[in-house]
Amino acid sequence: MRKALLIALLLAPSAAIPVVMSLAADVTPTSEMPAAGSVGKTEGLAAWKRVEAVLTHPRCANCHVGPDNIPIWTVAGEKKSRPHGMNIHAGDSRIGAETIACSTCHMTSTAPNKLAHAPPHVGFDWQLAPVDFVWVGKSGVEICTQLKDPKRNGGRDAAGLVEHLRHDAEVNGFIPWAWNPGGGREMPPGTFEDHVKDVAMWGAAGQPCPE
Amino acid sequence: MIELTVNGEKRQTDVSPDMPLLWVLRDEFGITGPKYGCGIAQCGACTVHINGVAVRSCQARIGELGGAQVLTIEGLGAKSLHAVQKAWIDHQVPQCGYCQTGQIMQAAALLDKTPKPTDEDIDMAMSGNLCRCGTYVRIRAAIHAAAEKL
Repeated sequence: MRKALLIALLLAPSAAIPVVMSLAADVTPTSEMPAAGSVGKTEGLAAWKRVEAVLTHPRCANCHVGPDNIPIWTVAGEKKSRPHGMNIHAGDSRIGAETIACSTCHMTSTAPNKLAHAPPHVGFDWQLAPVDFVWVGKSGVEICTQLKDPKRNGGRDAAGLVEHLRHDAEVNGFIPWAWNPGGGREMPPGTFEDHVKDVAMWGAAGQPCPE
Repeated sequence: MIELTVNGEKRQTDVSPDMPLLWVLRDEFGITGPKYGCGIAQCGACTVHINGVAVRSCQARIGELGGAQVLTIEGLGAKSLHAVQKAWIDHQVPQCGYCQTGQIMQAAALLDKTPKPTDEDIDMAMSGNLCRCGTYVRIRAAIHAAAEKL
């Protein structure tokens, strides 16, 4: 209930800023990042472990695939992941433009599609993450190193990663959807708000990665 | 009131915005070419084109289609049969026929983007359209034949 309320409030532009500020007294008005130096390495590594658990969860990793451009499925009721059914290849475009568009089934819609086994919707065109952002098959350390490298994370610094999460929520994107996928699908640990906080803490600690 | 263009004709409907396009086409507009198969985008029988892209009409909410251009099998062959439709006849593709309007709409969309598809292109584009009669070999042959005519 708390998560749903927070997301609903965050999606309402007029309510977003007060909610964010009330969640964390130590953030500046323009950023959710704790002040530099206020989070130690140990705390930052602990935050990273929670972030890693989210990023390596199939709900989040399944569209972060490599250059074969084949999305992964973890079907509701199944534990084992497998290639997306229907011989789907998203192509180098990563949106399926070459053969069959992702949006042929995954309609672009701000309304959720919670019917079991029906294709989920988000508020912009369904797509794979850019190929540089591959997570499937990578270790936590590899993902950590990759995520803090602006050349492989869309040119984002630590605050930029947090802003990315917030922007995705504003446009009904993939990231908050992961915690509200419907249709009996499994979810990553924690909540979207927990994840934002952990990414911010990890960033404030200097984005430490496990040795 | 929701306004959209279906097969070149302006249409209006005041149904619930949540109603899938497939229901609107069949029950409100009497356009029955698109078929109901699974209702969850697993079979492709309801495939139509929305703004030139093949889409499973069972998944498209009418409330989000204001101003859209929708093309169904009826519109595809309205003036004269599309090359895909002719090839379907030449190769006697259908058996029971239930899935075939979706197959044809998906194939036409493929050829719009990829005028000379390989077998692999066809398999990738058409694998989301199921045919319980197993006409896949003839579907592939007909798509190659249509590509030669376009």
